[in-house]
Amino acid sequence: MSSADPISKLVNAFRKLPGIGERTATRLAFFVLNEPEETSRELAEALLEVRQTVGLCKWCCNLTDGDECKICTDARRKRSVICVVERTQDLRAVERTGDFRGLYHVLHGLISPLDGVGPDDIHLRELLTRVGERKKEDQVEEIIAATSPSVDGEATALYLQRLLEPMGLKVTRIASGVPIGGDLEYTDRVTLSRALAQRRQM
Amino acid sequence: MQLEAIRLSDFRNFEHVEVVPHERFNILTGANGQGKTNFLEALYLLSAVKSFRSQATNANLIRFGADEALLEARIERGGHERKVRLEIGPRGKKIYLNDQGVRNIADFFGTLNVVVFGPDDIGVLKGSPSRRRDFIDRAIFNAHPAFGTESMHYDAVLKNRNALLKEPKIDGSLLSVYDDQFIEWGARILRRRLDFTEHFRPVLERTFHAIFSPDYHAGLTYEPTWMEGTIDVERALEQDSFVETLLAESLRRTDDEERQRGYTVVGPHRDDLVATLNGREVRAFASQGQTRAFILAMKIAEITYLEERYHFAPILLLDDVSSELDRERNRHLFDFLKNRQSGQVFITTTHRDHILLDDDLRVFQVREGNICSI
Ligand SMILES: Nc1ncnc2c1ncn2[C@@H]1O[C@H](COP(=O)(O)OP(=O)(O)OP(=O)(O)O)[C@@H](O)[C@H]1O
Ligand SMILES: [Mg+2]
Ligand SMILES: [Zn+2]
Repeated sequence: MSSADPISKLVNAFRKLPGIGERTATRLAFFVLNEPEETSRELAEALLEVRQTVGLCKWCCNLTDGDECKICTDARRKRSVICVVERTQDLRAVERTGDFRGLYHVLHGLISPLDGVGPDDIHLRELLTRVGERKKEDQVEEIIAATSPSVDGEATALYLQRLLEPMGLKVTRIASGVPIGGDLEYTDRVTLSRALAQRRQM
Repeated sequence: MQLEAIRLSDFRNFEHVEVVPHERFNILTGANGQGKTNFLEALYLLSAVKSFRSQATNANLIRFGADEALLEARIERGGHERKVRLEIGPRGKKIYLNDQGVRNIADFFGTLNVVVFGPDDIGVLKGSPSRRRDFIDRAIFNAHPAFGTESMHYDAVLKNRNALLKEPKIDGSLLSVYDDQFIEWGARILRRRLDFTEHFRPVLERTFHAIFSPDYHAGLTYEPTWMEGTIDVERALEQDSFVETLLAESLRRTDDEERQRGYTVVGPHRDDLVATLNGREVRAFASQGQTRAFILAMKIAEITYLEERYHFAPILLLDDVSSELDRERNRHLFDFLKNRQSGQVFITTTHRDHILLDDDLRVFQVREGNICSI
């Protein structure tokens, strides 16, 4: 089959999704083909819609379908503490603990020179600008580096500390209890909640 | 620590075998190419979740024509019995402990500990420094399963630091982050290795006397090759900050060089272990038989060390051990093994009469992928 044929094109598109290999991609493609046309239309429209309407919150880089996200616009939330996470999934995990009432910042990545990811390749400058500009207004006092205890998570947290402490901010790190090399998203609620409570000054 | 039973399906040349070993000595005899080493490899896999053979891809481990290999074992340690199951598919391995899938491999390590001695191990002393670092690291890992994660962490920090050093314009704040991490994890690795070498050396000397000859003194020194002068081991072990300061100073000293080369030139990943016989370097002066006996002593001493210091003994796997020892050395070896009060051993051989053991044993005949007790 040439690479231009539509089935191969679809298989290749599915393969780009995380956790999907050649076999699963092929199965998905033939599933779509065997379903009524309506299924394909729904899928295609949903994919495009999410792309066109969901963007990043102008403050915290959380995913939102507006200009600002629901957390940033929630007047009941404490504005003096910002919890910095790697991914939106991690923000959700921290939210599920119900213990955190401050604001967030989503980096959408971790620093990793080995993978060619430097500080400017993640949404870190936005955080610096944000605390720089709104420090007075929001009275930001503390930044919690809630990245995973992996090498990249640790390096990103330390780098944050290097930049933010000279700006007069307190930088804390969530306590481990989160398994080393573990994923924040898959850490159970109790562990994560305790880790958050026992965060330490870096 | 003891293997109580093992079952292999579609692994290497075994379609289906079950073995109930003796608590002390197990002799596997058979002609060349029958599956003796394969059996030891299965035990090693159940311990380390990887093979001791370098060419062992998942596909190579699965019996020709089969889809998946299955290795199951019942293991006793400290009065507790555990079931381990390893599934090997073409794309990956999956490990189960007491029928529960293990998510984090670090939680599994330590369930079964083995020490293997085989024909390839001549490379431990004749090969590159990385072979000797592997020896120390495996011994430390046997005692402290967490060391596996620590050394992976160090490697990752090092690789990132090296990638950063190759960048045309280096962000100073970011480099200082990796400096700190490098120092923290590097010091941890270095201290553990120094601590191991100090406690291991006397055990090795004793073991070598027993299995080789009381006229030879086996020596072992840990060498941080990047250091100027020698390391003050006593201070390094007493004072946590000593090694950290040492690494920090060395980083500073080599600042220009590492930027020029684009990689880190100091640290425990460059270290070596120097083995000596009566003060002379084994690599340069020892005969083939002396070298092999030295490595064998290292492996057996590793078990004694773990037994004395941590109160558990890994299972010893001896692959074709008698083939290069002379008759006297061979007798010393088996006398030594018999004199240990306990400890499970698996020994492969092409000639049963090389194995000078008569009691506390079970003999298995390995032929064309079948194993039967005789
Ligand atoms: N995936 C596999 N499927 C089937 N057979 C295999 C597989 N991998 C290896 N073998 C076979 O296993 C045999 C080698 O077994 P092994 O290395 O255990 O021999 P051995 O009994 O230790 O012999 P020696 O005394 O020569 O060391 C070879 O015949 C090889 O072809
Ligand atoms: Mg063999
Ligand atoms: Zn927001």
